Amino acid sequence: MNNTIEKIVKVLLTIIVSFLVGAIFILIIDENPLDAYTALIEGAFSGKLMFGTTLANFTPLLLTSIAFAIAAKAGAFNVGVEGEIFLGGIAAAYIGINWTFLPAPLLYVACFAGAIIVGAAWAWIPGVLKAYYNVSEVCTTILMNTVAVYLTSYLVNGPMSGGGVNAQSADVAVTLKQFMRPSSANVGIIISIIVSILIIVMYYKTSFGFKLKSVGSNPSFSDCMGIDSKKIFVKAMMLSGAIGGLVGCIEVLGVHGYYLDNFATNLGINGMLAALIVKSNLVMCPPLAFFLAILRTGALRMQQSTGVPKSLVDTITAIFIIFATMDSLFNLDVFKKIKRKKPFDTKLAKGVK
Amino acid sequence: MVENIVEMENIIKNFGLVHAVKTGNFNLRKGEIHSLIGENGAGKSTMMKLLYGMYPIDGGSIKVRGQLLENLTPKIAIENGIGMVHQEFMLVENLTVLENIILGFEPTKGSVIDFDLARKTVTKFIEQYGMNVQLNKKVHQISVGEAQRVEIIKILTRGAEVIILDEPTAVLTPQEADRLFEIMENLKNDGKSIIFISHKLNEVMKVSDRITVMRHGDYMGTVKKEDTSPSELAKMMIGREVFLDLKKEKATPGEVICQVKDLWTSGNKETSKVRGISFDVRAGEIVGLAGIDGNGQSELVEAITGLRKIEKGSVTLDGKDITNLSPKKIRENGMTHIPEDRNLRGLNRQLTIKDNLLASRIDDKKFKHHFLRKDSSILEESNNLIGEFDIRPTDPETLLSSLSGGNAQKIVVAREISTVGNLLVAAQPTRGVDIGAIESIRSIIQEQKKKGIGIILISADLEEIISLSDRIIVIHEGHISGKIDVKDANEENLGLLMMGGKDTSREGLNLEGLNE
Repeated sequence: MNNTIEKIVKVLLTIIVSFLVGAIFILIIDENPLDAYTALIEGAFSGKLMFGTTLANFTPLLLTSIAFAIAAKAGAFNVGVEGEIFLGGIAAAYIGINWTFLPAPLLYVACFAGAIIVGAAWAWIPGVLKAYYNVSEVCTTILMNTVAVYLTSYLVNGPMSGGGVNAQSADVAVTLKQFMRPSSANVGIIISIIVSILIIVMYYKTSFGFKLKSVGSNPSFSDCMGIDSKKIFVKAMMLSGAIGGLVGCIEVLGVHGYYLDNFATNLGINGMLAALIVKSNLVMCPPLAFFLAILRTGALRMQQSTGVPKSLVDTITAIFIIFATMDSLFNLDVFKKIKRKKPFDTKLAKGVK
Repeated sequence: MVENIVEMENIIKNFGLVHAVKTGNFNLRKGEIHSLIGENGAGKSTMMKLLYGMYPIDGGSIKVRGQLLENLTPKIAIENGIGMVHQEFMLVENLTVLENIILGFEPTKGSVIDFDLARKTVTKFIEQYGMNVQLNKKVHQISVGEAQRVEIIKILTRGAEVIILDEPTAVLTPQEADRLFEIMENLKNDGKSIIFISHKLNEVMKVSDRITVMRHGDYMGTVKKEDTSPSELAKMMIGREVFLDLKKEKATPGEVICQVKDLWTSGNKETSKVRGISFDVRAGEIVGLAGIDGNGQSELVEAITGLRKIEKGSVTLDGKDITNLSPKKIRENGMTHIPEDRNLRGLNRQLTIKDNLLASRIDDKKFKHHFLRKDSSILEESNNLIGEFDIRPTDPETLLSSLSGGNAQKIVVAREISTVGNLLVAAQPTRGVDIGAIESIRSIIQEQKKKGIGIILISADLEEIISLSDRIIVIHEGHISGKIDVKDANEENLGLLMMGGKDTSREGLNLEGLNE
């Protein structure tokens, strides 16, 4: 328990320090940091449109951070969530446009299932390459992201084009209900929250979750215990890909109503950042994703009302990550008593008692 | 009065709340080999690290040649002629032996390193003490024993008069250890003083002049070798009588449980690391596999347990062919396995005690309801095992990284024994654990045998092989170089077979020889 509190305190401290450093930048361009930050927070919460936009931003970030984190639990660094979103999105769009012979409820199911299956299948490739042929999944997923972007771009400009000026598909026949209009918040957020909770429960409470943890922390041990580390690794990648596909489906059905070219640019990467900041701690992913969503939404208002460019938010996020990865930055006195000693000595402490 | 070159009095060292050394007393005479013994965590390594200046002392005094040294650092220690060979060698793998030895103390000629002079100086030491090292080889190409000699030369060239050897034999084969003892003797005859840290009593009795015993950070006394015996030392170390020479239960072997037939497999770097090994294990007997590390035993174990691909040959367990099945299937067929490297395969240091205890059984109905783990039965079973195997600390939620070697190994043993099986593969079951844990692990293995379980025991410790096994198979370069009944076995004939030689010293010895 102590450990969890320590982690939360550390994240909070990191946030404060990042904002302080951000304030220095704001001062350098001759603006008032307090005004800028006030505008930032107001921008994220004031009014239906802004708060709705925050929620709409939160939905994909939540799932992509969970998707990255669950793969990381099994030892995979899945940069490919973004590609999985694109492909999941296009699969959902294809089904939503063309399978109208299905009754509406079934069509929903088909869209989601299609997106999830395509996402999982796409992630299966780097998973197998890594597990059985030792090809770095970081490399393959980055490369495959590009493939996914161009593949979907081709489809939406060519065979699946809606025929308009923009590079987008025709409208899908089923959509997720939106609320807090004119923002694009939609019931996808409920799906996101449910899925996140399911994944967290799965990781902490089920035997499959235990296997993920075991394989991620020591594959040799797992093999010896009869847990096939290679299979589990591939499954973790596929699970991560499935969540990515789900995000694509939610975005297409919920936000746009059609497939828009390049709609997911940076969605996967931002989720990955959120997960990295909390070191892939699944429980901490949701609050962090929400925080990043606030930053993204509020940045626009900040730019409009103060003259601080919205890219400052990117700077703060980057500083955030740098500080978050510095493990020993906030080894305060309270923690030092527990932390300072080397494993050798704590070993004694517990053994002698 | 004999001159004391090192005097450590009433040393106190705390790490936070932990009292690592409470009453540390140790003195070293010139020209003696003085052993410092104790269980893991008794404070012996800490004492020597204090002498070498790696940590500051919290109380007491350290005198070298009568001179009080305060604020000791490794630099001051080296200047005072103290050198330490650590358990983990401090060598640069990609440099040659010579370069490693002179690193940081390079003799120069103008602005370039004077390798000729360096070679001359180093060769002098090599010849003087009979150390066989190849100066031009890179460190990653030489054996562990040789690397250790390089470490010794390294500290000698820095002018060490007092040489601290921290558990030097833990990584050596019996033959290499003997060679080290010869070198120690040579050094001693030349007037160097040696501190030998160990928990192997037979070695200590072999090499020491005097022996100091520590227990739980306390000084228990210093004795002359002539005035003591291994059992007395063991008693001093753990505070009660120890029986390592368990009375061997007479084996009543039943039917053949496991049959290994003409097994071939490759190592990570070499092909055909195991070349045609065949043997049987019957229910209720212990078959010991002896051999110098790296002769194929590890690969053989991995092949049998499904962790390495078998290229040719077969393994049957209880009449069923288990060749190249997955480890999970093999476990389901009744094989349990204590892996040789507990930090790699045996345990997951990032998980808790309970997770480590039950990792092989997470899919058992007992611990799983549909998909969810049954926390209550997991906790209950863990608490039972912790009690039964006397694992400390007793909290099943403790992270494994905070456990001592002995308790960590008990977890491995507890997990494998608590799984119902008919064959136990025990690889180095007592490597690197303290004497108390050795005693209990060995008696557990004996009990399993009594229950009628077939056991394959792999150990680098010949004494362990001889005292536990019913039959001994010696492996050399991937072949079986001999099979001996335990009543005919001794360290010499086993040692010879381990080197690949044929034992001709005894008649009537049952040498089945190679399989081809």
